[in-house]
Amino acid sequence: MEFVDALTGFRVDGRRPNEVTPTFPFPTAPPRVTQSHSVLLLDFAQMRQLKGEVGVVARADGSALFEMGNTRVIAAVYGPREVQNKGQQVNSKEALVRCEYRMAEFSTGDRRRKPKGDRRSTEISLVIRQTMEASILTHLMPRSQIDIFVQVLQADGGTRSACINAATLALADAGIPMRDIVTSCSAGYLCSTPLLDLNYVEDSAGGPDVTVGILAKMDKVTLLQMDAKLPMDTFENVMELAIEGCKAIATYIRETRKINGLNMLKIASHKWITHRVKGLLVEDEWLCPVQWTGNS
Amino acid sequence: MRDLHLSLNQTQRVRLEAALHELQSLAPAAASAAAVTVADTIPVNQEDNILKGHGTSDQDGEVVATLCGVVERVNKLVYVRTLRARYKPEVGDIIVGRVIEIAPKRWRLEINFSQDAVLMLSSMNLPDGIQRRRTAVDELNMRSIFEENDVICAEVRGFQHDGSLHLQARSEKYGKLERGQLLTVPPYLVKRKKQHFHHLAQYDVDLILGCNGFIWVGEHVVVGEKTKTTEYQQKSSDDAENFTPLETRKHICRLANAVRVLSALGFTLTVELIIETAEASVSSNVEVNNMLGAEFYVQTAEREAKRRADLLRKKNGAR
Amino acid sequence: MEHLRWRPSVNEREFIESALQSDLRVDGRHSFDFRKLKISFGREDGSSEVQLGETHVLGYVTAQLVQPYRDRPNEGTLAIFTEFSPMADPAFESGRPGESAIELGRVIDRGLRESRAVDMESLCVVAGKQVWSVRVDLHILDNGGNLIDAANIAALAALSTFRRPECTVGGDDGQQVIVHDPEVRDPLPLTIHHMPIAVTFAYFGEGNIVVVDPTYKEEAVVGGRMTATINSNGDICAIQKAGGEGVMSSVVMQCLRIASVKAADITSKIKKAVDSYTTEKALKKVKRLPASLPQKINVTDVTMEDKGDGELETQTVKTPSDVQEISKDPATTGKASSHEDAQPMLAESSNAEVKITSSSGAAGESEEAQEIGSPKSLKDAIKPKHKRKKNKK
Repeated sequence: MEFVDALTGFRVDGRRPNEVTPTFPFPTAPPRVTQSHSVLLLDFAQMRQLKGEVGVVARADGSALFEMGNTRVIAAVYGPREVQNKGQQVNSKEALVRCEYRMAEFSTGDRRRKPKGDRRSTEISLVIRQTMEASILTHLMPRSQIDIFVQVLQADGGTRSACINAATLALADAGIPMRDIVTSCSAGYLCSTPLLDLNYVEDSAGGPDVTVGILAKMDKVTLLQMDAKLPMDTFENVMELAIEGCKAIATYIRETRKINGLNMLKIASHKWITHRVKGLLVEDEWLCPVQWTGNS
Repeated sequence: MRDLHLSLNQTQRVRLEAALHELQSLAPAAASAAAVTVADTIPVNQEDNILKGHGTSDQDGEVVATLCGVVERVNKLVYVRTLRARYKPEVGDIIVGRVIEIAPKRWRLEINFSQDAVLMLSSMNLPDGIQRRRTAVDELNMRSIFEENDVICAEVRGFQHDGSLHLQARSEKYGKLERGQLLTVPPYLVKRKKQHFHHLAQYDVDLILGCNGFIWVGEHVVVGEKTKTTEYQQKSSDDAENFTPLETRKHICRLANAVRVLSALGFTLTVELIIETAEASVSSNVEVNNMLGAEFYVQTAEREAKRRADLLRKKNGAR
Repeated sequence: MEHLRWRPSVNEREFIESALQSDLRVDGRHSFDFRKLKISFGREDGSSEVQLGETHVLGYVTAQLVQPYRDRPNEGTLAIFTEFSPMADPAFESGRPGESAIELGRVIDRGLRESRAVDMESLCVVAGKQVWSVRVDLHILDNGGNLIDAANIAALAALSTFRRPECTVGGDDGQQVIVHDPEVRDPLPLTIHHMPIAVTFAYFGEGNIVVVDPTYKEEAVVGGRMTATINSNGDICAIQKAGGEGVMSSVVMQCLRIASVKAADITSKIKKAVDSYTTEKALKKVKRLPASLPQKINVTDVTMEDKGDGELETQTVKTPSDVQEISKDPATTGKASSHEDAQPMLAESSNAEVKITSSSGAAGESEEAQEIGSPKSLKDAIKPKHKRKKNKK
């Protein structure tokens, strides 16, 4: 099957593959905001359309719905809360992070009933947990536990990446302190072309599939999974492409969160009572940093 | 605002969006830049010897946010105030909680914190009101004071050495809450004030705004009444005491729905605002069960926008 | 069961970390040194025992005829099964495989299967009807850290020595599959295209310190772990870095380069071990030794030390000469020494030669003799019951 059109250079879903020299078109301007206040839509040339929405599960402390094209994932975070099974608590100085990944039965084309806790989902649960643990400041929440539940509602390739992005959004929504934003994106190599953010058709073509998760600001790789055979220098290109994709998602998530958080605060009150200063309640208009120049 | 999943018709949606937009525009413009997300750098003057508070960390000499929220400064202290998060206790906070476990000499309470809070038997007034050492008999009778799933009101006493949170209830105003509704709202909507217990005399209702986001709306209880009644009197008057008039029940529901509407819209909860909302529902002939409908949400948002605009105008006029 | 896992005390943790800061490891190795690797083989084909330092893993390969998957009608199957017994580490739960067991199985599975290291099409007997299903059982006997690498080597070694019985298609309708007894027709080896070697790196101190082949104690204080599965050509077959401490992408690439060197190194060790095992095996069949003479099979101990290789060389050369002394049959001796020069990795030629003897009645006798003579090993105790289940139809 032809995954990159020889004539036009388009991918199966009409996306442009990456040129050999990664001139990746990142938006220098802030992303285009559409729809309501909490939902952002964003287009990158090579990545499928991203959509993130927080506050989708009312009972949870934090929740998010994340879409990468047709892949659609929901994440809910409970906690930090009291440790439920004391036997699981390994270190009382750090929060216990747990993660459960599930794929809805209707998420894929064939509606086979998948047993709970099969090998694949156990591994992905482990991977997501350890990836999020790398970012959560667990030592700030001793003797408590954080539960992350991710469910794939619609699978069209890159579910693992979408789950991590959704989990990041949900954790940020739950107000859990994190070292850095973790984002993830996959990349592949088909028809001698590195391709970003594979969809199901491209993913099941049997080519290599590289999933990368990065700590966006520190620019460090925390998650790296790859299968099938790939020479080392090609692998380097594919990995770099995936990292670029992760960075694009990070910019997207930041913008979503920033707009959302600010709106909530503005609506809450026109006045904001600052912290107690020497036992007195100081009521004042917004206290802002003096030489704030915006995010660099 | 985030939990708002209403079925609005077209005009209602436009009106709500306009009201929310107005509310946003009423907030000081300078504030927009102060919002940060995780891993954003917070610019500070290095020579200032900045104190890094909550939600910040040091990365390669830069102050970096670890939460999504708004940067605030008090003198040299820089911290990030987050919105959607669990309750962060401070000593002296008045909280409403729910008993989930009775352990030796203590109750464990769910208070929307990262751990369960502990209320020691010794840090609570005995029902007879006598100050004495707690005996083994008292310990056995703990269930007669609070049972599992009782809703109680207490005060934050402080953190113990092992990091657990302790509460105290050494006053007659604290204790078991009965005959009313418990509502949970995001804790950021409750501001710390001098007064958290409110007796709304016109409704004969008690309103307790717990700092942890648990809000109690219940029938008014005269403080000290319980302790004054002697054993046999209490028994005979049990039936009468357990009866809440229908009128009061309706008031409780009305106020509770007002809190629900306001918290869903994301407005900071104050007694004035709650009463105002409840009054408005009465004056516009909205039934208690219709208060959670789309129309009342929109009306509430519009009213709040108008109120804030008026306040701002007054203030500017005074200047 | 996680609480049963050994956890370092505070000063132990600090010691390991501060020693690593000054480029020292607790067992005195350099950062990119593997522990001593010892590969030995069982009495039967397709079983291996790998010792990597204190880590002890047993690999066992079996095959049976099954119906193929519907989407791949002309390919055999390969499945990896892991067994983490609480004997090796109290943290392992008996019964249901834990998270780490599943991760290990899947990492090895990805490395072997997705990179198509074992030729699957040659395992097809009748397309859509009968294919060979190869099952690799990996038993962890002792957890001394870095289970993935040890288990991967065990799997490769076991697969390299595995022989499946030959079968032909015939019968009335031409669809009947006849499985030939190994006594009648020599079993066939698997076709292995390349050897994907897993190399595990451990990251400490915000990803600045990298060591290879972490021990149990190092794993307890580790910040992040990455397993790169690479073959000797430098092709990356699988990577697993499941979260943990972040590292720069340049560090990742550096690790991969180191891994490819290590992979070439380990590949040659495995090949050497397999070669000497097959030679040994072939010779034994030829020799027809009397029952009174105990035979040592596990002579092929490969160590990571350079001089160890030298010793091994002399050992293998010496073996045929020993045979010459014992054996009274000049023809057999000539055969044995001749295939010493040209020895292919999968020892197909050695099989061909053995054919002469194996078809004769004396072969059974010699087999029996070996059974008595060879010492009982651990492999006998854990041998799966369905081993060599023959589907004679």
